[in-house]
Amino acid sequence: MEQRQRSAEYIFQGAMYFFRRKKIQCRYQYTLKDPVDSALLQKAVDAALAAAPYYAVQLVWEKRDAFLEPNPNPCRVYTGSRMRDMPEETDGYMFCVSCEGAVVYFDWYHFLMDGRGVSPFLTRILEQYCNLRYGTAFANTPIVCSPAYDIEALVAQYPEQTATGETLQREVVQTCEDTIHRTRVRLRKKCLVDKAVAAEVKPFSMLLALLSMGVGQYLGKQEVQYSYSADSRDAVNAPNALYNCVCSYQNIVSLEQGNHAEDYAAAIDAYVRSTLTPEAKRYQMSQQMGWVRKVHMQKAPLRIKQRVFQMGEYISGVSADFWLSYLGNPLLPATPELEAYTEDFGVWVPPDGGSMGVEASSRNGIITLCIENKVPRAGLSAVLRQVLEAEGIQVLEAVELDEF
Amino acid sequence: MERAEIISQILAILEDVAEVSPEDVNENSVLMDDLDLSSMEILTIVADLEETFGLRIPEKELRNFVTISDLADYLAANAR
Repeated sequence: MEQRQRSAEYIFQGAMYFFRRKKIQCRYQYTLKDPVDSALLQKAVDAALAAAPYYAVQLVWEKRDAFLEPNPNPCRVYTGSRMRDMPEETDGYMFCVSCEGAVVYFDWYHFLMDGRGVSPFLTRILEQYCNLRYGTAFANTPIVCSPAYDIEALVAQYPEQTATGETLQREVVQTCEDTIHRTRVRLRKKCLVDKAVAAEVKPFSMLLALLSMGVGQYLGKQEVQYSYSADSRDAVNAPNALYNCVCSYQNIVSLEQGNHAEDYAAAIDAYVRSTLTPEAKRYQMSQQMGWVRKVHMQKAPLRIKQRVFQMGEYISGVSADFWLSYLGNPLLPATPELEAYTEDFGVWVPPDGGSMGVEASSRNGIITLCIENKVPRAGLSAVLRQVLEAEGIQVLEAVELDEF
Repeated sequence: MERAEIISQILAILEDVAEVSPEDVNENSVLMDDLDLSSMEILTIVADLEETFGLRIPEKELRNFVTISDLADYLAANAR
């Protein structure tokens, strides 16, 4: 590989994922109408990758410096549902496509892309597959990535909040770090929207209120700290960023017996709205990525950086009882034609920085919550069903996918 | 491990991470105010201490580390 093809442009945007306790590997899974033809899926991946050089890379290290360079290896489609270690078991690729029955699994290492950055590529693969399998005529135009945002300019714009003795001494949420168990809950979107409209809040805020009540009951806590992420592409002028470009916020709900979701939703909504302006997100990005930058610049072994990063997240109050990520429709673009060939969708993300991670996606009027839970206690699905139904939300499914 | 030995290790790491001379430190020195340590330096010292003493310090304990003595007390009680 020629040296000039190397680039460090997008390394910093993913650097925080070097610092995570465990490697963050995520999964999108699509259930199609018919059993998947793996040979056709291979052709679809090859075609999509040819139009999307951002994803066709491998990570190389030289001492403590990381680079991305074009990956010369074939990008294989695997059979089975096992998530492979990326890039170690995937010929250097930081994503992996596999299939089993009617399901296409798209796994990715969070270093190179976030959920929004995955969507155009996954959608393209499905479109190309439908072209081959069903004779559709989806185009295969280049997928381009916005240039990396300028972290130095961002940090220079906003002064860093200096940690004080008080910062170090405040109470933090100690997250559970047990084996992950998965729970899936499906609910009728219209119920949630109607309830939110009646309360004059965003459906997202109402969902946060409902989940806070459920998690509080499940954990036996009266104060629940939630966290959520916000897409910040608009804030850093990188509309087509495929790299990680989100900021996260945290807040606390104090629960009281006899209250309903509406009693919490207004305050949650006011906070959420205040955090979603481009200016608020720019500020949050500067603080969040400023810390990543400081850790990144330390001349210390990676394991020390990892530990410092984790503790820094704790003292800055990032850790939460649960976090909620609202993906919406994972297809980008979400055309009715492509929807017609799909039956179901799920997204699974390990909950680093929280005891539970809730990934919410919306499809065909149903909201699916895919929950990864590190609390060593059974019964989450039953509690969520009971809380949601008591609040007038129609629950279509609430199941534990792994046994305790 | 003897407390004096623990203090000695803390001072060595403090000097290495933050270039604070051991002569300028006593057990009652406040990490942020007296020694003017940044949060990054404090966390790096804690991470180094974890490696040195072979233990993992729960994050909720960080708030208790105000002075050198606080660090030494914790290590004396928990280090193997």
